[in-house]
Amino acid sequence: MTYPTAKFLAAVALLGGGLSLVSAALAESPAATAAANVCAGCHGADGNSVATTFPKLAGQQNKYLLRELMDYKSGKRVSEIMAPLVADLSESDLAELAAYYAKQKPAPGVAGASALMKAGKNLYLKGNSKTDVPSCDGCHEENGNGDGKFPRVAGQHVDYVLDQFRLYAAGKRTNGARVMQAVAERMSEQEARAVAEYMASMP
Amino acid sequence: MNMKPTLIAAAISLLAFNAHSAGPEFHHQPHAAGIETYGYTWNSPDQDMNRALAYKASAQRGKSAYKICKGCHKADGSGQASADYPQLAGQHATVIIKEMMDIRAGRRDNPRMYPFAGEWIVSAEEIADIAVYLNHLPVNDSNDKGNGKNLALGKSLYDKDCASCHGGNGEGDARKFYPRVAGQHYEYLLRETHESRDQGRRNANPEMVKVLKSYGDADIEAVSDYMSRLLPAKK
Repeated sequence: MTYPTAKFLAAVALLGGGLSLVSAALAESPAATAAANVCAGCHGADGNSVATTFPKLAGQQNKYLLRELMDYKSGKRVSEIMAPLVADLSESDLAELAAYYAKQKPAPGVAGASALMKAGKNLYLKGNSKTDVPSCDGCHEENGNGDGKFPRVAGQHVDYVLDQFRLYAAGKRTNGARVMQAVAERMSEQEARAVAEYMASMP
Repeated sequence: MNMKPTLIAAAISLLAFNAHSAGPEFHHQPHAAGIETYGYTWNSPDQDMNRALAYKASAQRGKSAYKICKGCHKADGSGQASADYPQLAGQHATVIIKEMMDIRAGRRDNPRMYPFAGEWIVSAEEIADIAVYLNHLPVNDSNDKGNGKNLALGKSLYDKDCASCHGGNGEGDARKFYPRVAGQHYEYLLRETHESRDQGRRNANPEMVKVLKSYGDADIEAVSDYMSRLLPAKK
């Protein structure tokens, strides 16, 4: 039996989410119960998380979600928080979860007043040829909706996105095709922030 | 076992690092023998390449696999007006496959592109799909061009030295893996021709390098300008 970390429990308590591992263990449909009782605590009942370090999942690409969940389970994507939560779920449970969140309606992005917005949009659509940073729209689409294994980035929390850029650049997020590792390595902190602000603003 | 302390330290740090990740070393391009090596044979058989060439490729699948490339080479395959991102639209599929495999194997140095070209990103079959897709895209004729001042010299050099392989209209030769040069970005042609002359482009054809030996910088500028302006043959 694995236990959720103290950090996770604290986060859930802060959000006032209802965590019931007991009912998850007893439920007939582990995925449904997990979504309602476990995932909702951090990611919101409909996948539109409030806390900015937890990613929004609503409207996320099904294929991407399933891959990430499987990678948490196998340890390819490292997270103290997620690993114990998916440990007891089967691949079909995870597929059910991925499909559920992919179907939810994403809350529209919030246009920040950030002075970096213009630079972010420019980087997102054009990249930086001086440092060989590709534009983001190639894989994540112009509207930020992503496609299949390429995640939706529109409306995502700035803090979460910045965390991911840092993990990629430090070689600590290595699951998937590792394209983002090379991209993040080439981006300045300022560029990462600018593009994150722009993505968060996308509807 | 007689290991030096530094080696042991290195081994330990490597282990510690690998505990967290597969490490960034995966995208360090390998180095394979090229033109600088005695006995180098241009376009010698390559397993990966043969697999891609033998594959029944599909432009439709290629369109989807091309996503990874689009961020730099653009949705229409026109690249960018600089030395770094060549126009790929209309290029021969065989040429794209060969160059990709040369980059993968380390016969053509391109450390900036390598992280996007490794086999963990695209399979040999996907490269074949992408190559066919790109070959079908129309060449964008608003490519980067030179200053247009020495086109007569450029033409005479091209007709004398280049046309026999790259074609009278710069159309190249798919069967022989000779690239289409018509409509390519000037800055890119300029850099690659310089690099070929100076043996920096290690997968260059030795016959071409021999010809380029006598070229001065002004000759290279003129012929690159001329090639950038060759009208793409309409398909």
